[in-house]
Amino acid sequence: MSNVQQEVFEIISKQAKIGMETIKPESTLKDLGVASLDAIEVIFDIEEHFNINLPNEEVDFENGTVGHLTGAVERQLAQKPANG
Amino acid sequence: MRRIVITGMGGICALGHNASDIWQAMAEGRSGIGPVHHIDAKYLRASAAIAAEVSDFDPLKYIDAARLPFLDPLSQHALVAAGEAIRQSGLPLDHERAPRTAVVVGVGAAGEETREGLYQKLYGEQASRFHPLGIVRIMSNAPASQISMTHGITGPTFTVSSACASSNHAFAQAALMIRAGLVDAAVAGGAEACITLGILRAWEAMRVLAPDTCRPFSANRRGLVLGEGSAMFVLETLESAQARGATILAELAGVGMSADAGDIAAPSDVGAAAAMRIALQDAGMQPADIDYINAHGTGTVANDCTETRAIHNVFGKHARRLAVTSTKPMHGHALGAAGALELIAVVGALRNGIVPPTLNYLGPDPACDLDYVPHEARAMTVRAALSNSFAFGGLNAVVALRRAP
Repeated sequence: MSNVQQEVFEIISKQAKIGMETIKPESTLKDLGVASLDAIEVIFDIEEHFNINLPNEEVDFENGTVGHLTGAVERQLAQKPANG
Repeated sequence: MRRIVITGMGGICALGHNASDIWQAMAEGRSGIGPVHHIDAKYLRASAAIAAEVSDFDPLKYIDAARLPFLDPLSQHALVAAGEAIRQSGLPLDHERAPRTAVVVGVGAAGEETREGLYQKLYGEQASRFHPLGIVRIMSNAPASQISMTHGITGPTFTVSSACASSNHAFAQAALMIRAGLVDAAVAGGAEACITLGILRAWEAMRVLAPDTCRPFSANRRGLVLGEGSAMFVLETLESAQARGATILAELAGVGMSADAGDIAAPSDVGAAAAMRIALQDAGMQPADIDYINAHGTGTVANDCTETRAIHNVFGKHARRLAVTSTKPMHGHALGAAGALELIAVVGALRNGIVPPTLNYLGPDPACDLDYVPHEARAMTVRAALSNSFAFGGLNAVVALRRAP
């Protein structure tokens, strides 16, 4: 598991109050019982943790998987200046 | 039971500074949404840069210069709308009527421009002095108080706050007081002045703001667009209006209120349906009596399909005969003032036989399968109508109107 994925999973696990082992890259936040404002809060926690902005286009609350979310975080991190 | 009619209507929003201009724009399907220009562009982000702002508004045309320092735009909007409504109704607010008249104003936020300006000074600039008129400008009851003061209305006067349902809750409170015999008339409506950086960014953070525009019930809708302004109505008993020979614009026939007791943000079709059903019942109407629904129709994914389900649930087969439109692509989502601005559309539809359209419609969403009157207004007889408002916090309020008796 990449560090980014590990950290994303930890944030979700904390918010959803579920064990890390239940989170799979193919799970959607909905599958994990994280819906509505809780999901928006998870995205916010991820943004704060990595100091990035996840645009709405990258965040699909209906069908987006946790794996996709991790990918989106990695893309934003790659765009960030090294000392940013 | 005392019947309640509307004898005056006033408004201000991105579509105009009086109710007839606003109605004209609605009937023509014009949109007031555009790039935000009241906030320095350097603070705006692409995802929160459009709104339906009140523009080219000179408060001194309507309000005494001596009074203006006490007024956040929130109260300025309310005074413009209330002044127009009271003038139109011709209701004499003399010593007999003034104590028998209420003022009930729906406000979702408060004097946000004043609040943000003062906090900017306090936190941003470490200012040592706080402006002394902060409180009286910011407080959410300011618009109700200012209307009462300006017009000498001494009956029950207060603000109702239930986020995006505030206006409809205000109509309900005013109507119930008139019915109960506590008062004989009321100035009721809603006001909001919420296009500030803080409010925009707070809505953006919830990921419900559309970056393109507001497209209610449409495929590829991406959220809501904020609006602002005020609309006010003079409500009185049918008896009083007839005795005065006042022009009756419409009858406020019923109100329905409910709470989802569910999620703080996600809407519920059960709660929405309950409010519609209660409004019909209260008005003594059957579903088939309704021709038009001015929907809450925010343009968010969640609201529009939930509201559609609720309408199906209440109206059964008649749902497909209804014209259901959202006027929010024109005046924006004005939060606490939304229901009041939308009542201008409903009164206009009842009086003129024109249903304002739902703008920006790109095509059908399978979860939204009603007749939304896309793009262009429709000429049709509207005997009776509902106006829906569903707020964050799961608070629902619906008003039922009938053509003037």
